[in-house]
Amino acid sequence: MSNKIHELEQIMFPPDGSGLKPYEWMVNPTRQRQWIDDKGLFLWLAFFFSEIGAGLYFVSLFYAYKLGLILGWLITLVLGGVIHVLYLGNPLRAWRMIMKPNTSELSRGIWIIGVFAALGLLQIVTSGGFNMVFSTIMGILCLLIISHGFATMNVIRALPAWSSTMVLPLSLISGVWIGHQILQFMVSVSGSAALASGMEVWAEVFFFAYFLCIVLYVWGTWHSNEIGKESIKMQLRGDLLKISFIGIGLLAITVPLILALIMWGGDTNSFLIFLRLACVIAGDLALRYVIMKSAVYKPLI
Amino acid sequence: MPRWGMVIDVKRCIACWGCAIACKEEHFLPPGVFFNRVLIGETGKFPTSSKIIYPILCNHCSDAACVEACPTGATYVREDGIVAVDDEKCVGCRACLVSCPYQQRTYYDQKVKDREYFPGQGKTEMELIGEKLYPFKVGTVIKCNFCSERLEDGMKKGLTPGKDEDASPACVNICPVNARIFGDLDDPDSEINRLIMEKKGKQLRKEFGTEPAVYYID
Repeated sequence: MSNKIHELEQIMFPPDGSGLKPYEWMVNPTRQRQWIDDKGLFLWLAFFFSEIGAGLYFVSLFYAYKLGLILGWLITLVLGGVIHVLYLGNPLRAWRMIMKPNTSELSRGIWIIGVFAALGLLQIVTSGGFNMVFSTIMGILCLLIISHGFATMNVIRALPAWSSTMVLPLSLISGVWIGHQILQFMVSVSGSAALASGMEVWAEVFFFAYFLCIVLYVWGTWHSNEIGKESIKMQLRGDLLKISFIGIGLLAITVPLILALIMWGGDTNSFLIFLRLACVIAGDLALRYVIMKSAVYKPLI
Repeated sequence: MPRWGMVIDVKRCIACWGCAIACKEEHFLPPGVFFNRVLIGETGKFPTSSKIIYPILCNHCSDAACVEACPTGATYVREDGIVAVDDEKCVGCRACLVSCPYQQRTYYDQKVKDREYFPGQGKTEMELIGEKLYPFKVGTVIKCNFCSERLEDGMKKGLTPGKDEDASPACVNICPVNARIFGDLDDPDSEINRLIMEKKGKQLRKEFGTEPAVYYID
């Protein structure tokens, strides 16, 4: 009998929270679930891969590093694009998402990714692809793609944790920072130790900018309003506490900081760069997960 | 062309959940899916605390966040002010669902479709008939439509929505205390406009600037 009741409870009040909970739903701050729980994880990964792919492409433009362009282009389109489509309830209708660029941030993103795909391919296959005008256009497109995921979230006024002013700068810096780390690793293993060492100065700049953006995001969201404060509190309790401390505190900040200090002045080596790359990827995934998971709606009454 | 709206008198509401159940019956909604809900909260501190009851449904906003967010145009505001979803165009991105400050939309996936009212015993005849009469498409978003089918059928018969039962939303008809009043917001002589003006009708979470068509009076 108790099993039957438990089964009924699981159906009426599924653990994913989609069931009816009249005593708390929108009476207390209610968490958004669609873009992070269950299949929503696809969106979390899609935003991440689009961001790091475009970040790698962006940084590669400055070093005229064609392999970086190719890998960045592939990560953005194959991993980011395909996972985006897999998330949809009706993937075969994905083409319809080009229909409303005037109001929908998602639609604008599809257009930007489409233009990026076409021009990026042109830049990769043509010999004079690194001319200033072309690179500037591609750089702007990359920045738009990097910020696309968080921009889509940023326009949602109902979720203060996402509509915080620092969400977009954080997204831009994290994309460039991780893209830079991937490129630095590629350069270091391809035998260009001097270039990898030279890139370390920028790695340090990006890392500190990234750290500053995280601090400002937390500070800004905490002080935005009561619901923003609730989101930050949620990031620091329950299951998210471990992810916040280990993922963001340790992997995204502390370990890269230690490694940046070890390699300070350009004393780099491939293993340390790889270690830092692994940490910043895991850290940024954790950061995005925590931000997406902790967004709450203002109660209706 | 009218612009449909609703006034809900929260002082009259007794939280019987009749609106929610009538809506489920009208649209054959599966377990766990509600287009109408009743929120019950508290205000103040003991011993001066009091209970607050708010029946809620889609606000059919004229400047709807869901319409803005929809990348395909599947969610749109009809000429009569009803916010509708074209399930042929919906890609299931759920941008509308996330952007709605009132959380009045539901993503209809296979998991929701497979839910049974009597778990493990298969779907009842009623549930099976519902799937035929009121089919939702898997992978799309569903929501309250102010019972637009009833409105349209009723008007074809020359009935007046808000006055005649056969042309009014199910939640309005079922309400035992007449807490819900339905009518044309563009008609200055309509009862709902009179109530909004006389009793200073309030929209829910006006700060989001979505211009809801559902007003609350007390």
